[in-house]
Amino acid sequence: MGHDITILIGGAAGQGIQTIGSLLAGICHEAGLFIYSYDDFQSRIRGGHSYHLLRIDNQPLTGPSLSPDILVAMDRNSFDLYHHRLTKRGRVLLNSDAGDTPADLPENIMLSLPLADLAKSAGGAITANTVAAGVVAAMLGTGLSRARQAVEAQFRSRGKKVVEMNLAALEKGYEAGQNHAVDHTLTFTGFAQERVVMSGARAAALGALAADCRFFPFYPMSPGTPIVTHLADMAQEVPIVVEQAEDEIAAVNMAIGASFAGVRALTATSGGGFSLMVEGLGLAGISETPIVIINAQRPGPATGMATRTAQADLLFTIHASQDEFPRFVFAPGSALDTFHAVKKAVMLSQRFQVPAIVLMDQFLVDSAMTGVISFDPAEEPDPAMETKWDQKETQSSQNDTYQRYRLTADGISPRIHPCTPAGLVRVSGNEHGPSGFPDENPENRCAMVDKRFKKLTGMKEQMTMPDVFAPESEFFLTGWGSTRGGIMEACQTLRQEGVDVGWVLFQDLWPLDEHKLTDLLSGKQLILVEGNATGQLGVLIHSLTGIRHYSLVAKYDGRPVFANYIVDKVRQIQGVKK
Amino acid sequence: MSTSRFDIDRENQWCPGCGNFGILTAMKQAFEARNLTPADLLLIGGIGQAGKTPQYLACNMLHGLHGRALAMATGAKIANHDLNVVVSTGDGDCYGEGGNHFLAAIRRNVELTVLVHNNQVYGLTKGQASPTTALGTVTKLQHQGTSADAFNPVAMSLAAGASFVARGFSGQVDQLAGLIQNAMSHPGFAIIDICQPCVSFNKINTFAWYKERVYDLEDAGHDPSDFSAAWAIAMTPASEQIATGVIFAKEGNAYHRRLTVLQHQPLVSYAFDGDKVHSLISRS
Repeated sequence: MGHDITILIGGAAGQGIQTIGSLLAGICHEAGLFIYSYDDFQSRIRGGHSYHLLRIDNQPLTGPSLSPDILVAMDRNSFDLYHHRLTKRGRVLLNSDAGDTPADLPENIMLSLPLADLAKSAGGAITANTVAAGVVAAMLGTGLSRARQAVEAQFRSRGKKVVEMNLAALEKGYEAGQNHAVDHTLTFTGFAQERVVMSGARAAALGALAADCRFFPFYPMSPGTPIVTHLADMAQEVPIVVEQAEDEIAAVNMAIGASFAGVRALTATSGGGFSLMVEGLGLAGISETPIVIINAQRPGPATGMATRTAQADLLFTIHASQDEFPRFVFAPGSALDTFHAVKKAVMLSQRFQVPAIVLMDQFLVDSAMTGVISFDPAEEPDPAMETKWDQKETQSSQNDTYQRYRLTADGISPRIHPCTPAGLVRVSGNEHGPSGFPDENPENRCAMVDKRFKKLTGMKEQMTMPDVFAPESEFFLTGWGSTRGGIMEACQTLRQEGVDVGWVLFQDLWPLDEHKLTDLLSGKQLILVEGNATGQLGVLIHSLTGIRHYSLVAKYDGRPVFANYIVDKVRQIQGVKK
Repeated sequence: MSTSRFDIDRENQWCPGCGNFGILTAMKQAFEARNLTPADLLLIGGIGQAGKTPQYLACNMLHGLHGRALAMATGAKIANHDLNVVVSTGDGDCYGEGGNHFLAAIRRNVELTVLVHNNQVYGLTKGQASPTTALGTVTKLQHQGTSADAFNPVAMSLAAGASFVARGFSGQVDQLAGLIQNAMSHPGFAIIDICQPCVSFNKINTFAWYKERVYDLEDAGHDPSDFSAAWAIAMTPASEQIATGVIFAKEGNAYHRRLTVLQHQPLVSYAFDGDKVHSLISRS
């Protein structure tokens, strides 16, 4: 610990705080360092208060920290909110444009600069945020040439004039920050190599493309929107269609229609939109039409808090829709994991002809991290899919003998595309017989319910059991999805303090093999760490294994679960002995 | 009755005398006339008596949720715009539960043929008012008469910019078959609002009631490219006269011609390109 640097950039919406973060992240990434960033913002376009967190290290990071070594306060409000969280080596850059500089911090700690004035002298007040990035680059000692490269990369697409103006602004800032270096052990001499900086949103988009998804019907809803925005940006390069639907009901039904016609489709939303999609989810279930829905969770119900984060839709997504049918639910633990989770969701949805849901949240969507994504371009989207298509059905459609819902040993009926000579395809949301025609005969009803549930055996085999760390421990921090990084870091801190604690972290959530899970968790004291009020994973574990959790660290304030919060809570839990 | 390659050996659940039978016959006639085979045809049904239509003829069938047929049809057509997609829906399905999808599908100008079986009543749920039921009509649920003005599907279609708007009558099968053929050759969204009696639940808008009021626009010399004339037809109260035929048709760019990616080939027929995905990953 202690090698990493955290920069907190606070300001009003519209002040370009994300640009400061992305410039600094670019410098660090190109220099071979690892970053983790996170955006916290309000549901407004201008004003209010937002912050951007950027953490930098020589080694891979799993989450952000809330204790800044450098606080960039673009307004006085940001200074007041965060200066008490500064670390011992902390430095502050305060934008003094507004004039009201607090006098309670010594000059060697606080650098108060009129950023807009400096920017104006460099060619345009609009580059105040680039001046700030220059100051911080100097505080970090990145070297001016690396900082210049990042500015060029960031603004290249906006033309030479904009690049020149921002370079001048950068240099103004760099000069001003030179005597305010922060004590650290980072070295800016390496290279990014094959590593990328990936946000959860972008990873989700790429995971979908890697699995050959081509159609993205979508209705805008925070925090799901950035996922599809990335896809829209990529639509110039890959043959995909992003269609803004009239509502989420249309989005999910368009996905079903496209999937029926042979194109893999995915839609992204948040809990409110997912609620509207539930009817369609049921149609995908009974009609055995593969679709993937990403639910980027936010606090609710109803509108709740639009740009905040939560993990309170786990049980809802597992049980959503009337009646019962098999489905997949995944909850990736990091931005990099999101790529693989979405890809897996699409593949397995196709193989088993069931809907799949990927649970993300605002924290995960808006977090970015350094890492390597392994993807073999020669790899087919899924070789195992070949057996799921009926290649042998070559009889003429005049015979009309193809059965979309043919009863099979594993419950999976080979598909064919509609409107080919291979046979007539009939798909229905009514209970149907093997042919696809509605059929309410009681024996048929049971046969079809049983057919759909037969898939569960194969589905469970595809699920990765939760990861376990320090299996000999008595207590286990237990979580799912995006709390992963925070839990891992908290566990490390607690163990350094002598607390006997490990972790068990879920990414594949449904359907789980209850016997394997029971074996894994028996005899352990589970301390749930969840972004909801009731400990939904605990309910799920209990329902599957009979094991009751030991304690619950519940966070439902709409903000991410940071490592230090978990450490504090676990210390308070009686029974976890030092 | 003549036989058709679209016939299917399956019990029909419609009431004897239902207007749907005339529509079904007209559909088969139109498909035959267009030299289609069952394999060429994708019928998408909503929920309601009209939504059952795809079950009663030989075709590919997608039968989903109440109100959502147009959303599913849009998805299917975006996936593969070479498909011949015909949507069978009703006044409750299309104009009520699916109203938002109806407006959006018109605006997208997705190349679909939409047959709205409009009997001005809910049949499958046994006799409640539909969006097209006239104000004040007493039903099994609305004992004091309906309290909402009737929805005008033709006027709404025109106002929303539909590129092909027609009205048919289930009692005029040959004319209806011709309209369906026209609609299927129209390069864009084509709606046919089809007047039909409901023998079980609508005692007002009976076969005879329609027969007294319908007239053929072609006989009347109507020019379907004349929007003002079309609007006047749309605004004529059905209680007086019911025009049948093509009310309005215009050139327009279908959805799949508006998107560069679909101008080259159907979405479903592109080959997967792992190198492009890899390149996008490494530029993150």
